[in-house]
Amino acid sequence: MVAVARRSVLIGGAVGAGLLAAGCTAGGPSSPAPTTPARPDPLLAELADERRLVAGYDVTIARHPALRARLTAVRDDHAAHAAALVTALGPAAPPSPTTPAATDSPDVSSGVSPTGSPTGSPTGSPTGSPTGSPTGSPTASPSTGIESSGGRTRVPVTPAAAVAALRAAERAAASARGTAALTATPDRARLLAGISASEASHVAVLA
Amino acid sequence: MTAPAPTPTGPGTPTATPSPTPSGTGQVPALQAGLAAEHAVIWGYGVVGAHAGDALLPQVRDADDAHRTLRDDTVALVARYGGTPVATEPEYALPFPVTDRGSALRLAVHLEEGAAAAWRYAVAATDDVAVRRAALVALSDAAVRATRWRLALHTSPATVPFPGD
Repeated sequence: MVAVARRSVLIGGAVGAGLLAAGCTAGGPSSPAPTTPARPDPLLAELADERRLVAGYDVTIARHPALRARLTAVRDDHAAHAAALVTALGPAAPPSPTTPAATDSPDVSSGVSPTGSPTGSPTGSPTGSPTGSPTGSPTASPSTGIESSGGRTRVPVTPAAAVAALRAAERAAASARGTAALTATPDRARLLAGISASEASHVAVLA
Repeated sequence: MTAPAPTPTGPGTPTATPSPTPSGTGQVPALQAGLAAEHAVIWGYGVVGAHAGDALLPQVRDADDAHRTLRDDTVALVARYGGTPVATEPEYALPFPVTDRGSALRLAVHLEEGAAAAWRYAVAATDDVAVRRAALVALSDAAVRATRWRLALHTSPATVPFPGD
């Protein structure tokens, strides 16, 4: 057993110092004005993508109820991401209009019957993507990997393909949030980096 | 630049070799925060390895190796940005007794969560894009390892919405 406590808590020193310094950084002189009048806030695109991800998980769970236990916690992470982005956006945040993204209900009416085939989905296609790739490459929508048109989302027919599509969507999302973090203000960089890392870890649970 | 970059192994994360830029600020404090955490994590993985059991040893070794590589790369980066790399402490205090496989795995989760917190701080502590990218990769890698340890522990959920919170 290691006896001597040279520091109060393992790695607590570094993190504690970091939190104090982070407070100074966020309020520092380099922080720009909170709103940019001319261009749309770049966080709006991140918020829209997080809401698409929540919707993608909702329709996937509705289509493949056996995946519910595996996917619900990941879906809830994305709902938390969206909520945090809404907070960061402040008054600029749009309400969640037609998607069920901001709700906690896993049951959605989005053109997918929980027991039947997705409306209009050809039964021969294993993925519903234009390329028919069973690996779930996000060809239809680079941000979610879930093909969506006319307000309806088509989910790959097999659970394995559906999970693969979500895995690809998580990779794309982690990359997008990470890229956005590189040039964001400090507080937004912290938020976006956390979301990106969470999405990277989602890939591990979807493996 | 010829110096090695911090392990760009995170899935979906961009990679690049950080190079000193005159325009950025806060690089050294950001990197030092990450480095101090890496020192603690490497020390902690020694304890994890002593109690995790043979079956988990390859996974422990992989994690330990990744952190040692990251530590060495971060030491080089701090020096390149003109800082004096912080040294490791002789000993660290454990957050709870580690006596068996379960507590060793919980310590591994704790270590990676601490690393994630430090590197997430680092992302916000500098506006240097290259250092931010390196910190982001380190943060993502720590979050992924924390999730894998939670999976080994059968902890549910295995992910968190904001690693490093």
